[in-house]
Amino acid sequence: MGVKAPKKEKTSREISEAKWGWAFIAPTMIGLIVLNFYPVFNTIWQSLCKTGDFGRGNTFVGTANYVTVLNAPETWQSLINTIKYALIEVPFGVIIAMVLAVLLNNKLKGTSVYRTIFFLPMVCAPAAVAMVWKWLYNQQFGLFNNVLHTNVAWISDPNIAWISVGVIGVWSVIGYNMVLFISGLQEIPGDYYEAASIDGATGIRQFFSITAPLLSPTTFFIVQTRLIGALTVFDLMFMVMDKTNVALKSVQSIVYLFYTYAFTNGNKGYGATLVVVLVAFIMIVTFIMQSAEKIFVYHN
Amino acid sequence: MKKKILAGILAIGMALSLAACGGSSSGGGSGSAGGSGDSGSGSLTVNIWDANQQAGIQKIADEWSAESGVSVKVEVIDWDNYWTLLEAGVSGGQMPDVFWMHSNTAQMYMENDVLLKLNDYIDKDDAIKKENYYEGVWNLYTRSDGNIYALPKDHDTIALLYNKAIFDKYGVAYPEDSWSWDDVYEAAKAITEGSGGDVYGYALNTSNNQDGWYNFIYDYGAQVITDDHKGTTIGSDEGKAGMEMCRKILSVAAPQSVVAETGTDSLFQSNKCAMITQGSWMINSFFTAEYHEDYAWALMPYGDANGNGQCDDGERYSAYNGLGWAASASTKNPDAAYSLISYFCAEKGQMEQAELGVTMGGMIGVSDAFASAFPGMDVSAFTRIEEEGSLYFRPYTRNTTVWEDALQQAGAFLDAWQTPDDPAVMAQACENAQKIIEDAIANE
Repeated sequence: MGVKAPKKEKTSREISEAKWGWAFIAPTMIGLIVLNFYPVFNTIWQSLCKTGDFGRGNTFVGTANYVTVLNAPETWQSLINTIKYALIEVPFGVIIAMVLAVLLNNKLKGTSVYRTIFFLPMVCAPAAVAMVWKWLYNQQFGLFNNVLHTNVAWISDPNIAWISVGVIGVWSVIGYNMVLFISGLQEIPGDYYEAASIDGATGIRQFFSITAPLLSPTTFFIVQTRLIGALTVFDLMFMVMDKTNVALKSVQSIVYLFYTYAFTNGNKGYGATLVVVLVAFIMIVTFIMQSAEKIFVYHN
Repeated sequence: MKKKILAGILAIGMALSLAACGGSSSGGGSGSAGGSGDSGSGSLTVNIWDANQQAGIQKIADEWSAESGVSVKVEVIDWDNYWTLLEAGVSGGQMPDVFWMHSNTAQMYMENDVLLKLNDYIDKDDAIKKENYYEGVWNLYTRSDGNIYALPKDHDTIALLYNKAIFDKYGVAYPEDSWSWDDVYEAAKAITEGSGGDVYGYALNTSNNQDGWYNFIYDYGAQVITDDHKGTTIGSDEGKAGMEMCRKILSVAAPQSVVAETGTDSLFQSNKCAMITQGSWMINSFFTAEYHEDYAWALMPYGDANGNGQCDDGERYSAYNGLGWAASASTKNPDAAYSLISYFCAEKGQMEQAELGVTMGGMIGVSDAFASAFPGMDVSAFTRIEEEGSLYFRPYTRNTTVWEDALQQAGAFLDAWQTPDDPAVMAQACENAQKIIEDAIANE
């Protein structure tokens, strides 16, 4: 005995502080538990059940849903579709936004006007955006085919449709990514550029030697969050494509598939399984991204 | 490491809250929609999904309010959200008091005892007699044990809509009641070819079966769902013959990729298409359209299955469907809820519904008034089909949407819509459809 350190009594001030601390985080904690964690575990439970109507009479079936989901070709097709969408939205959404941010970070006339214009897609309701694009793409009456004098089935040709949908995604996220980039750019001290100009570095050289490395934490953050966002895309496909669209099979995302099963067909258990599979996939991607952070992100 | 765990948790949260959002957020939404917060005695909340009918329904409900002293608030929620909200309302215990039921979902709601059982009320109510209503609609809302959960609100039928201006322009005679589907084919061919593909002679709404391709199958003597709701004859020779006729018309109609992007009613209203089949629930949309003076309705064409050149018994069919007025089993004021339903479904309410042009009646014999509710537009084709043809109730099983959805996809009729020039693809699609429906029923 005697090795153990004497237990330190908490002062009344410390107890009071602790109470207040809990009180301040309670709203967030309760919100997270009720709105996020409870549904998370409920979803996992449902994925192991053959669900009954109105959430009553669920019977436990073990991994039966998982066997069906993983053996269904449409699951893998939808996962590939989702990845294809992410491969358009994330790289283009990031690169275009970065270029715009660098341009708009300069002192030029009407910067705020341009910023507002590029940010506008963010404040539009996604459903409204999709409806407008749907009509732009329309083969018969659409603006694109009329202006270009073409007759392209933008959203009905399986070879093109996934790109068309990806373009809407890029257009929608550019503004948001740009604002994040601008805030990242403003944290880079101006002296670096001054010094570089004195040493005779060109604008392009400055971008790759100063801007790109110092912006890499921001870039990484955007890539990671947008990747998760893109893998859970649903509204674009849902709004733009009719359910008898021949290209739907090669464009529908995995969340769309989840919607079809869980809400159209009323098979909540199967839908829950699809989502859990998606989460597992996102976790793997996130893990790989986190490991890659050390290689790509420059820390001062 | 902490950061990784945090990132992982956030990722799970983001993705899984998707699964939850349907349940939790709409649960909150239904609170306002359900409105059971208002005192039980003074008001009833009514939910419907068709904005075209809101004014008429509210008017009839207001008359009931004047008699009963209970106010009624009619809320419109669009079709897709209607069912999501209602389902969430059942799970969360916050349903509207009185609402519409539909053949797609009625079985599920009735089996789970979430609707108010109406038998005792009907027995005491002189205004409601089973024999006065369309049998298919009445039976739809009666459970196998005899419990009744909704009263027939209306019924709808299908007719052929055509654009006179386009027929004039290409010198083709207007559709007549004596037309078979072969005549439709010839006219559609003449217009599509005459315009060089600029205007389509016909357009088939491939995402709505009831007003479209189902009717071919019945004209030629097959059934999408058999009378016992346990099977199908869609893959039989008769079914294939019907769909072969459908394919033939499609080969001179608007390509499916066009229809999937624009929709047949938009094509028709933009003068891009000469003929479509439409349900009576859509009349108002065409009656109020810009070029409505060019539009006219003809009787649903018949399928000349025996090839004798005239319409025999059982060769002219229109699907019909009927909504039901149902009440929540948990309503705070069941007596008032039934009283309102009875007011809607008894002769006076049904007559008024037809006169206002809301819909045709669920009661037999009240629909003549409906035919005259659209001055300048002859919509008698919807009521005449009942004497000059036959009606079949819209096919349903317990989980209708499962096979209905699968039939529209690749592996079923989508293949055939895409290649309308190949009869073999259509025949194969019929066989696939037979299997899809049988498998779906086996899993119910």
